[in-house]
Amino acid sequence: MVNAIEVEKLRKEFKSYSSRAGLIGAFRDLFTRNYKIIRAVNDISFTVKQGEMVGYIGENGAGKSTTIKMLTGILTPTSGKVIVNGMIPHKEREAFVRTIGVVFGQRSQLWWDIAVQESFRLLKKVYRVSDRDYKEHMEHVIDTLDIGPLLDKPVRKLSLGQRMRCELAAALIHNPPLLFLDEPTIGLDVLVKLKIRKFLKEINEKYNTTILLTTHDISDIEALCERVIMLDEGKIIYDGSLQRLKANWGEGKQLQFTFANEIRLDALYALTNGLPVKWRKGEQANAWVAHVSPSLVPEVISRVVSGYDIQDMNINEISTEEIIRNIYEEGVVHG
Amino acid sequence: MFYVSVFFQYMAQYIKTKLQYRTDLIVEFVSDLMFQAVNLIFILVVFGHTQLLHGWTRDEILFIYGFFLVPYAVFGAFFNIWDFNERYIVRGEMDRVLTRPVHSLFQIILERMELESLLGGVTGIIIMIYASARLHLVFHWYDVLVFIVFVLGGALVYAGVFISLATISFWSDARSSIMPMMYNISNYGRYPIDIYNRFIRYILTWILPFAFVGVYPSAYFLGKTEWYGYAFLTPVMGLIFFIIAVFLWNAGVKRYRGAGN
Amino acid sequence: MDKYIEMIRIRFLMMLAYRTNYYTGILIYSINIGAYYFLWSAIYSDKPSIQGMSIEQMTTYVAVSWMARAFYFNNIDREIAMEIKEGKVAVELIRPYSYLGMKTMQGLGEGIFRLLFLSLPGMIIVIFLFPLHFSTNVSTWIYFALSITLSFIINSELNLLAGVVTFFTLNNEGLLRAKRFIIDLFSGLILPISFYPAWAQEVMKYFPFQGISYIPSMIVTESFQGQAVIDGLLFQLVWSVMLLIPIRLLWRAAKKQLVIQGG
Repeated sequence: MVNAIEVEKLRKEFKSYSSRAGLIGAFRDLFTRNYKIIRAVNDISFTVKQGEMVGYIGENGAGKSTTIKMLTGILTPTSGKVIVNGMIPHKEREAFVRTIGVVFGQRSQLWWDIAVQESFRLLKKVYRVSDRDYKEHMEHVIDTLDIGPLLDKPVRKLSLGQRMRCELAAALIHNPPLLFLDEPTIGLDVLVKLKIRKFLKEINEKYNTTILLTTHDISDIEALCERVIMLDEGKIIYDGSLQRLKANWGEGKQLQFTFANEIRLDALYALTNGLPVKWRKGEQANAWVAHVSPSLVPEVISRVVSGYDIQDMNINEISTEEIIRNIYEEGVVHG
Repeated sequence: MFYVSVFFQYMAQYIKTKLQYRTDLIVEFVSDLMFQAVNLIFILVVFGHTQLLHGWTRDEILFIYGFFLVPYAVFGAFFNIWDFNERYIVRGEMDRVLTRPVHSLFQIILERMELESLLGGVTGIIIMIYASARLHLVFHWYDVLVFIVFVLGGALVYAGVFISLATISFWSDARSSIMPMMYNISNYGRYPIDIYNRFIRYILTWILPFAFVGVYPSAYFLGKTEWYGYAFLTPVMGLIFFIIAVFLWNAGVKRYRGAGN
Repeated sequence: MDKYIEMIRIRFLMMLAYRTNYYTGILIYSINIGAYYFLWSAIYSDKPSIQGMSIEQMTTYVAVSWMARAFYFNNIDREIAMEIKEGKVAVELIRPYSYLGMKTMQGLGEGIFRLLFLSLPGMIIVIFLFPLHFSTNVSTWIYFALSITLSFIINSELNLLAGVVTFFTLNNEGLLRAKRFIIDLFSGLILPISFYPAWAQEVMKYFPFQGISYIPSMIVTESFQGQAVIDGLLFQLVWSVMLLIPIRLLWRAAKKQLVIQGG
């Protein structure tokens, strides 16, 4: 099977300018400026197979958008190899972008003042889609995304959820084999999110469309992606299945206690002395969470209950969000 | 061919959009007319006090001003991307443009087109007709072609200079006020070049060749044979400056850093 | 009074943050002065004087007009129109100060800033570039200072007026552009009023516009002598008082409407 994306030792550096203080400083800045080089993406390598759905995650400034922009041909890499759909994006940009679809959650692809279908018609022309292909493909897309009634409205009159669905349809006009989604569900309500996820699964199954998704919403990834690539400070810190990530990091349980009285962290550690338990403060007052392996659950509970007054207690699986937070806090990934 | 059909598609959308805001359109027409009137009134009032401006008569100056308005209108309608830095670089619209399979400069020109500017060209032609009637100018059939070529040449000179300036945004993220400065410099091209000193004349001919938008091509129609050489350079200068601009643009796109980094 | 002075200071500091704009501002103004300098030189060619002004006086007139513009020019009309449109005026009205007074003070802060960072350094540059002639007569400069202050007042009043009028009109942009066109043409910035045909001069006597640029520039070039200076200053003074009346009336009507509409 052909790889949709091949990236090897990809690097992007930016010059970051700083301005000097004061009037004389401003004048000096006119001639020479202070700068330092920031490596936004630091020699990353990975491949994505045709038909895969990959979640690309990382904190703000980890280098997510910069990677996406290099993969879509917007930015020219500083060094390294990048081949997407068999082409070098920034070299043969115009031919290349015809083979991809892009949705930027915070930026509209559609023309603000004209009706949605007019935007579609313009994009159809720009992507040189034949009437037959358009009809065959887009009727289905419009139907599934349920945007038929919106088509004759100007974009500025749409709600965010309505607009996002139209954006998605617009990115698919030329039925691209590869779809980049940058924060597609940002600010959307749950129902719209569900609709969009369902739709993405469908086109992935129907056309074997490869999807690369960046998001802050881990539930998007859980719903859609088999595989995640995790980025931190421009480097890949995890690349593998979501399953494995959970298995390695998510084994164990969360015990959530709500104590009757105020309690200190060192008192809790003293209580579970000798056991590999991690405590952290819960969200409510006097709530504390213990992270323990399954076999130790009874032991920890009995120690806590015998030591202090408990108002409430819960046993939970560790959520993906929790796992990712742990990874970023500790900075290491084993497995 | 593909680019032509995309062009008309954009144009159709543009007209639909504009028709939604009809009053704004009328206001723009009227205020354009007013700003052209300021210069016209200046010329008319000044010639109430003198007969000749460095050997040029009132009607010749009017003709030059009328001619200037035509390529300027073409430039204003298609190439006036003065807000490129603000709109495409700072707000990151360039990202979107670069994900579409059409040359980025072409897309931006289409998105920023302002066809209503063409009305200024009509005003210009009316002024030229008035001035040439008073000057008893005689035209040949081929002068229409020469006129079109000169207008395109002049518009390309403008386009070349302003697109080149817009590409500065690819290299420097500092906001610059060079654009408004250039608009003011370009005003120099509306008057006979020989009223300026040698230094400014040189700049207006070879560095920022705004003289090719007004005086030089007009000299041909006014029968000022001593300027014919420059007049026929108009389309050449237009092409050279436009090609330089496209070249700078392509180089700049490679340097594009994206927004919000 | 303290709060108004504070407003001037804040504006001043805001402008200081954008000071690089002013270096190019100086260049732009010099370019414009240059264009008119060459034009006027060609117009005068061998004439010693037109309408009683020599070429030196005319060049100086042009330079001073542009540099003075930097002082009196402001965008408070646009700001008011914008704040009315966005409904911010309602909030401003609860604050314990006069909204229009505050806007004027902002304009003054901007004006003083431009005077120090654009007009004065710009003037020094322009003196080197073009043959200007300045009077050494102290009283001329005192009259000029008075006159330019009145220019600022008249121009700001016209801006306030235009800004408040947008409250009652549908298309603000058209109104503001028309105002700018009239001021460009009839303030004397691009052409001294005395150059216009007699009938036009007669009409302009009944409008405040020449109080913005023509009068101060004529005073500083000593094209106005004796009684003409006093007449000019009186003209400005009368208009700066008279313009308060329509502003008051319109603002009162606007506030009334604001209360009814709820902003």
